[in-house]
Amino acid sequence: MVFDVIKHRNKNQKEQKKWDALAPKDGDLAPDFELRDAKGENPTSLSSFRDKKPVALIFGSYT
Amino acid sequence: MKHRDSIEFMSIYLREAHPIDGWWLGGKSLSTTLTKMMVGSNAATDIYDPKTIEERQVVAERCENELAYEMITYVDTMDDAVSHAYAAHPTRLYLIGKDGRVAYAGGLGPFGFKPKEFGEAIDKYLAKEKSAAGVTQ
Repeated sequence: MVFDVIKHRNKNQKEQKKWDALAPKDGDLAPDFELRDAKGENPTSLSSFRDKKPVALIFGSYT
Repeated sequence: MKHRDSIEFMSIYLREAHPIDGWWLGGKSLSTTLTKMMVGSNAATDIYDPKTIEERQVVAERCENELAYEMITYVDTMDDAVSHAYAAHPTRLYLIGKDGRVAYAGGLGPFGFKPKEFGEAIDKYLAKEKSAAGVTQ
């Protein structure tokens, strides 16, 4: 169990650092995307809110 | 929800952080303590990592319904493109301004996930926007 935690934690942290180097920082243009809802409907892009509303992005999962 | 009229809230469901077939924190007894420490008390402990977009949508819908956070859940694609673009896995917060630029970039999750700080950043952004609108009127 402890070894599993260390193994996964190290792997995840390595991945996080790799992608974080490329992720947008304060003032950067946010990468656009288009995603669908949990029913596979309503495709929505980040850029569709440009000049209309600020957008709060809350990333996560269920576990 | 505070600021619902002024801000578009998008919940984006990513690849599972602690699925049974991945970095599992254990069953109910052990995970009750661990999930409270690491990911919050309402996290699930019985999820396998979805292998298709349809499976991912099912888990995302369950998450949306059971956590009842009152916003639409959007589902990342199976190549984790959005997760990678924002270094968002396992969890992260961003505020994107009306101009499409990052107004707040939260720290890497789970320890950099700071809802209070995020709320303050939203308040600050809206106050600044209101002030700018007042100047131009």
